[in-house]
Amino acid sequence: MKSKLVHLADAAALIPNGASLTIGGSIIRRSPVALIRELIRQEKSGFTVLAYPAGFTTDLLAGAGAVDRVEAVYEGLFQFGFAYNFRRRVEAGELDIRDFSEVAMAARFRAAASGVPFMPTDALLGTGMAEHNPEQIREISCPFTGRKLHAVDAATSDFTLLHGYVADEYGNVQFPVARDADDLDPVMAKAAQRLIVTVEKIVPHSEILKTPNLTYIPHTWVEAVVEVPFGAHPLSCDGFYDEDEAHMQDYQLLMKDGRFAEYADRYIRGAVDHAEYLSAALTPARIFELSVR
Amino acid sequence: MTNSSEYTINELMVTAAARELQDGDLIFIGVGTAGRAFTLACGIPIAAARLAQETHAPNLSIYWNNLLSPDLEQIPPRLTQHYLTTWPTSAQLHNCSDKNDMLSRGMFDVSFDSAPQIDRFGNLNITAIGDYKKPTRRLIGCLAQTDHFAYVRRPLILTDLKKRTFVDKVDFITSVGHLDGGTSRTDAGLRPGGPSRVITDKAVFGFHEETKEMQLLSVHATSSTEEVLAEMSFEPLVNDDVSATQAPSSDELRLIREVIDPRRILLTT
Repeated sequence: MKSKLVHLADAAALIPNGASLTIGGSIIRRSPVALIRELIRQEKSGFTVLAYPAGFTTDLLAGAGAVDRVEAVYEGLFQFGFAYNFRRRVEAGELDIRDFSEVAMAARFRAAASGVPFMPTDALLGTGMAEHNPEQIREISCPFTGRKLHAVDAATSDFTLLHGYVADEYGNVQFPVARDADDLDPVMAKAAQRLIVTVEKIVPHSEILKTPNLTYIPHTWVEAVVEVPFGAHPLSCDGFYDEDEAHMQDYQLLMKDGRFAEYADRYIRGAVDHAEYLSAALTPARIFELSVR
Repeated sequence: MTNSSEYTINELMVTAAARELQDGDLIFIGVGTAGRAFTLACGIPIAAARLAQETHAPNLSIYWNNLLSPDLEQIPPRLTQHYLTTWPTSAQLHNCSDKNDMLSRGMFDVSFDSAPQIDRFGNLNITAIGDYKKPTRRLIGCLAQTDHFAYVRRPLILTDLKKRTFVDKVDFITSVGHLDGGTSRTDAGLRPGGPSRVITDKAVFGFHEETKEMQLLSVHATSSTEEVLAEMSFEPLVNDDVSATQAPSSDELRLIREVIDPRRILLTT
């Protein structure tokens, strides 16, 4: 096994303009926010985002004008309300949006994970999603029974970006025993062409060896692993810290008024790296409050 | 039977929903955010499911968000992440693929759903108002609501009655109800089903057996047929013998208030 450990800026530098990105986590939980901030810092753009429920990371990219297309089951910020940047760009007709239901989007990731070009499903029959997206949703007949179905195309992307809990330097990423499993990260990892994982903590390889059943992303799937404590902030990372409600509320107040530049100046472009971001966004007392025990 | 001054509309919606649940049902309940949205998406459905468990459906099971059979004696005071991660529950399957398989396998009997647009055939729109590619208002997408309507046997629509919500035709079909009525749903290749009831703050609706048009079944004691029709942009089928929605019994009210929601965290607004 070779070390896959890299710095955040070097991981982001692997990703070219115009790449398609599968982004893991869910809405306001365990998304690779620090990596997305770094992409914006490096002034990358032209992305296509694939997600299960999209949320904060997609809204940041929309605010930065860095995303041209989104394929997902949801876009919003859950209890914090609408994803204003995303919504504004869709309503202006500037963002190519492809909606899928959860069953259909999961089927697409599973097709990619299995190495087949499509998956059959009857979830989208009769829907507006199918009507508006003949490029990715096509009617087929079951070859055995003739039953009407859709083929939904495999959700392949250039890069898959996930935020995990702990990993060793080789990229063996592990769950904690108690986690919030309401995501598709394990499927997205298997579906990845090039997989970059940020984690809260790098642990010794000897720790990983003790509980191999908790490894949900094995080193052979991983291109780069990055240690980024509070790497999902202001979102939550189950088992590590809760969502930062005050930060999210402040974010929403700014985004509602279209003031992304102000936010970016303070937290993204104004902070040269993740360490500076943490200084700008958190205090030791706040870290203590958000951390779960 | 009780007098309408003795119960709230929320309590009436709970008992109306509970009466639609059967013993052995597996019920899907989503996660609402706050305020009225929480009460409609979570509060009333949870209370209804528990009321059914306490009365006629002891073997009913709940799938809430990604938790199967969570301990409803220990509903967290807030739904921030750590409360959700550590809420005692019988099962939390490994990732969402498992829940999606359970849906498309047809394992769910009932779901609770709502939308900013609902039409006369029970189709729902939670995706976009106006033109899909350049909408006047972009909404949240689809989530699993599409899948509920495709696969769950008896989806229940639970929402407040409003003229701009109950529209003749949805701008975009996120979730296929009875499509264009008649046999159009199964003609499109979907499995039989579609929404079974629409439970609102003023009335309860069903869908006509053949035409599949929304049909007024009962009006709450606090409202009237005229008031109900005034809150709709289309005219539903109205029987000559529209009844009054069955009031909660004193025993049901006792269960709701003393056993199910003593801290008043479910039926808040």
